[in-house]
Amino acid sequence: MSSSFSRLPDTQGYFGEYGGRYVPPQLEKVLQEITEAYEKIRNDESFQKELDYLYKQYAGRPSPIFHAKTLSERCGGAQIYLKREDLNHTGAHKINHCLGEVLLAKRMGKKKVIAETGAGQHGVALATAAALLNMECDIYMGDIDMEKEHPNVTRMRILGAKVIPVVRGTRTLKDAVDAAFEAYLADPETIFYAIGSVVGPHPFPMMVRDFQSIVGKEAREQFQEMTGKLPDYLIACVGGGSNAMGLFNAFLEDKEVRMYGVEPSGLSLNEGEHAASLTLGKPGVMHGFKSYMLQDEEGNPLRVYSVASGLDYPSVGPQHSFLKDIKRVEYVTVNDQEAIDAFFELSRVEGIIPALESAHAVAYAMKVAPTLPKTTTLLINLSGRGDKDIEFVVNKYGKNYGL
Amino acid sequence: MNKTLHEVIARKKAVGDFLLSLYITAGYPHLKDTPQIILELDKAGVDFIELGIPFSDPLADGPVIQKASQIALNNGFRISHTFEILKEVRQQSSIPILLMSYLNPIYHYGIETFLNQAHIWGANGLIIPDLPLEERGLFTPFLDKYALDLIYLLPPNAPDERLHAIDDASTSFVYVVAYAGVTGRENSDPIHILPFLQTLKKSLTHPFLVGFGIHSHQDIAFYSRYADGVIIGSAFIKYLEKVTEKNIPKKTREFVHALTSPPA
Ligand SMILES: Cc1ncc(COP(=O)(O)O)c(C=O)c1O
Repeated sequence: MSSSFSRLPDTQGYFGEYGGRYVPPQLEKVLQEITEAYEKIRNDESFQKELDYLYKQYAGRPSPIFHAKTLSERCGGAQIYLKREDLNHTGAHKINHCLGEVLLAKRMGKKKVIAETGAGQHGVALATAAALLNMECDIYMGDIDMEKEHPNVTRMRILGAKVIPVVRGTRTLKDAVDAAFEAYLADPETIFYAIGSVVGPHPFPMMVRDFQSIVGKEAREQFQEMTGKLPDYLIACVGGGSNAMGLFNAFLEDKEVRMYGVEPSGLSLNEGEHAASLTLGKPGVMHGFKSYMLQDEEGNPLRVYSVASGLDYPSVGPQHSFLKDIKRVEYVTVNDQEAIDAFFELSRVEGIIPALESAHAVAYAMKVAPTLPKTTTLLINLSGRGDKDIEFVVNKYGKNYGL
Repeated sequence: MNKTLHEVIARKKAVGDFLLSLYITAGYPHLKDTPQIILELDKAGVDFIELGIPFSDPLADGPVIQKASQIALNNGFRISHTFEILKEVRQQSSIPILLMSYLNPIYHYGIETFLNQAHIWGANGLIIPDLPLEERGLFTPFLDKYALDLIYLLPPNAPDERLHAIDDASTSFVYVVAYAGVTGRENSDPIHILPFLQTLKKSLTHPFLVGFGIHSHQDIAFYSRYADGVIIGSAFIKYLEKVTEKNIPKKTREFVHALTSPPA
């Protein structure tokens, strides 16, 4: 079958009506240069070889798939499998696109990579790739997030990155993106903006997806090898949407594979208490791209919240908006409490402490598994490990779990 | 196309005069200050106004305008206030007013509805810093109907074909961005873009005004030799920070006077 998905985005960076490049014109030239440089390395054997080498020998790829039998049994229905991105170097899927982005930046002769970070996972992964490939690295982070995620701040600093506190606006991820754009605008020739998810102006949503697509490529083969079939359901959490796109991309043409993107419904579905951009948002333009977005009636982005800092962004990658509209992927929500339950459940019955972001995907699997036959298979992208979250979880929720 | 804007530009050009435009964030420093500020700027001899609609995430703006936008939003500014400001100003003045907004507030309001309102209340044009040239089709079908000009930004790193594409798409003047970066840089040395300005003089068919980082009489003296005018934003916004409500008329006049007359 000729692929209707693999050609997206179009040359202007659109997935249907979403995406594009809505930036001040000072950035157009460099974004075009990145697009051209990326098109070149996409088909360049030496680049792909170098990246494959780093994936394998540095990041520890391929990551395994694990059949969570006890968890499946306890749910009493479908079989749950985990794609173990938590086992990657630096503890999450973010290293996949960071290695790609920094390698590309290096080939383009850039001196410095910069990025925003929320939970600090993207920042740590980028600082790591920058240390490895000898690039300067500046990370923009809301000062509220810096306090909440201080071990990651320390990690970035040990790795030689500069962490720049962002004190504007909501002092979290959205404003860190603004600050990174501001720095990028000031010196687009020597800086490479290594954005942290499948968001931002073209070519970022395409490029980050492609670098993440290794996850789905591996999973598709591994799963067939393990079970002789494709998984029936794919489940991934959606912040900006990079780990979900990474897994989904290889299966988009497999009509029989159902896909679920899990958004955080936080404390409630009331304004300011969640970050369910696809579920409750409307199309809008922010940070250089068009997508579903949580916004007030004047078009200003709304405050967002989730127990998982990596999920609290008021917009989402444009390809997800497209996949929602054409109904190829279904977007659902999981709240803080369900995610915390899943965090402890997976830790206690499988010995795997998931990142709070990934715990949202686990929680959704735990919800649907009991409603499905034992022969049905669910594959979760376990996007990261929970080391970064343990202190926060124990302090805030520990006493309900005997701690 | 908007007749008033074109007449103002043509009149100045005819006598070899230089255009002075000021940017003001709507609803800043206080919600109700804006009409008075605009009227004073008109009296002080400013040629046209850029009226900024505050947005929480203004990608092209530096700290000064970011802060002003946040203050205006905290003051309770709503898009509908834009039209109230226009209504009030138009009772006394026909100074051209260009609405400056990021795309999302207009998109969310409804593009045609917004343009229709802008027309009804007497705006003359629009500047949308995050609207790429390729997406101008969202607006162009309505511009003649509502007698509005859409102004495009031209950055100093634009390749030749881009420069010509922007010139071709323009209907009144081209807004030249003085440096790569956000608004309000304080130590931007205009000498760096001299070669670019000289190129523009030769290749643009439209008049061009330079904006971003312009804050002194000296800057203006420099640009008056190479461009058709300047746009001043952050310098004025920053100046207004320290101005009390009842001083606004006097202080506004003093600001313009200091810019336009050589230092004593
Ligand atoms: C472990 C983990 N999973 C998921 C996310 C969410 O990002 P995305 O939706 O781009 O995968 C993050 C972001 O920080 C993360 O750290």
